Amino acid sequence: MTSKSENITIRELVINFAIELLIYGVLVVGYFYLVLRLLGPWLTHLFQNDLITYAAIGLSLVVAQGIVLEQVTSFILNWLNLNRLE
Amino acid sequence: MNFPIAGVTINPLLLAGIGFIVGILGGFFGVGGGFIAGPMMFWAGVPMNFVVGTDLAHMTGKSIVAAKRHRALGHVDIKLGALMVTGTVIGVEIGARIIEALVAAGIVDLVIGLVYVTILVIISAFTAWESLRALRMIRTDRLDVKDAVGFQGISRRIHSIEIPPMISFPMSGIASISLWTVLGVGFITGILAGSLGVGGGFIRMPMLVYLVGVPTHVAVGTDLFEIMFSSAYGMLTHALKGNVDVLMALVMHTGAALGAQIGAVSTRFFIGPRIRLFFSVLPLIGALLVLMRLVSGGIVHL
Repeated sequence: MTSKSENITIRELVINFAIELLIYGVLVVGYFYLVLRLLGPWLTHLFQNDLITYAAIGLSLVVAQGIVLEQVTSFILNWLNLNRLE
Repeated sequence: MNFPIAGVTINPLLLAGIGFIVGILGGFFGVGGGFIAGPMMFWAGVPMNFVVGTDLAHMTGKSIVAAKRHRALGHVDIKLGALMVTGTVIGVEIGARIIEALVAAGIVDLVIGLVYVTILVIISAFTAWESLRALRMIRTDRLDVKDAVGFQGISRRIHSIEIPPMISFPMSGIASISLWTVLGVGFITGILAGSLGVGGGFIRMPMLVYLVGVPTHVAVGTDLFEIMFSSAYGMLTHALKGNVDVLMALVMHTGAALGAQIGAVSTRFFIGPRIRLFFSVLPLIGALLVLMRLVSGGIVHL
């Protein structure tokens, strides 16, 4: 009985992870084509002309994206009820 | 997609996929994963001079996500992590100077390569032996399941060193340990990380468990907390030398963020010894990659 309910839970989890991958994949592809294309020329210009500013802005962008993506992925995990694993 | 900074065209989904795989490893084992991400990025077509710097940049973002998730799970000892960062940064600088001396002597690849392989094989063998021993002891009820460590002799001896000031880490269940011991462990991992040119997560995580006596889950989270700072420092250094493609790092990080969350959540399903047993394979992969590089570069002849 326990093993059957465990199997159902694992199946549910795998399905939810797959849904999360799908939603996240769509968001990420949109992000590639909108945000990164806009940022590309500006960052390239900085890279070629001012490495100190490039390094500082690069680190800020990585940290900002880290914080935002943590919230996005947490939101999706919660929304799909994957947080109950914890 | 064209990445004008590195001057290459690579499918962004491939980069995000690499980030995803390394993110899972990072979230689960508390490592940066540079020793796996590096060769994969090179294989994907990223120029060698951009591999290390860009990898460090994506690692910074990924460790923020994974450390935050581990913190929510109660797996980050901030006090311990912050103290170790101090020792690590000093160690990294000394490690970098050792590299400079070896470069001047013209033996850097051979010495670093062989030291790297030796350390990785020892870590892998010891972790596998200890975790199997702990799992056996759990089966025979001689150890508690939760955070069983099959070999506690070293950490007990280290805890008994009483050089003031003595501090406690309640989060890690450590009642009293010398501040100098903690700084020393950070310093040693820093020297190894600085001289081997890696983040050092796969050295630091076992050292936290076996030397400092931190429970495995907390060691994973605390290691990621420390990687946030060490990789950010490394990224800045490389960016100033023109070795970081920020766009590429941002793309890799989109995959890594999700992988890191999944990896971190997955630790909830495994007991400490099981995580360490899986972990023991990682240094071995790293050692094989370095050996292949030494042989293909004609530095070592088999």
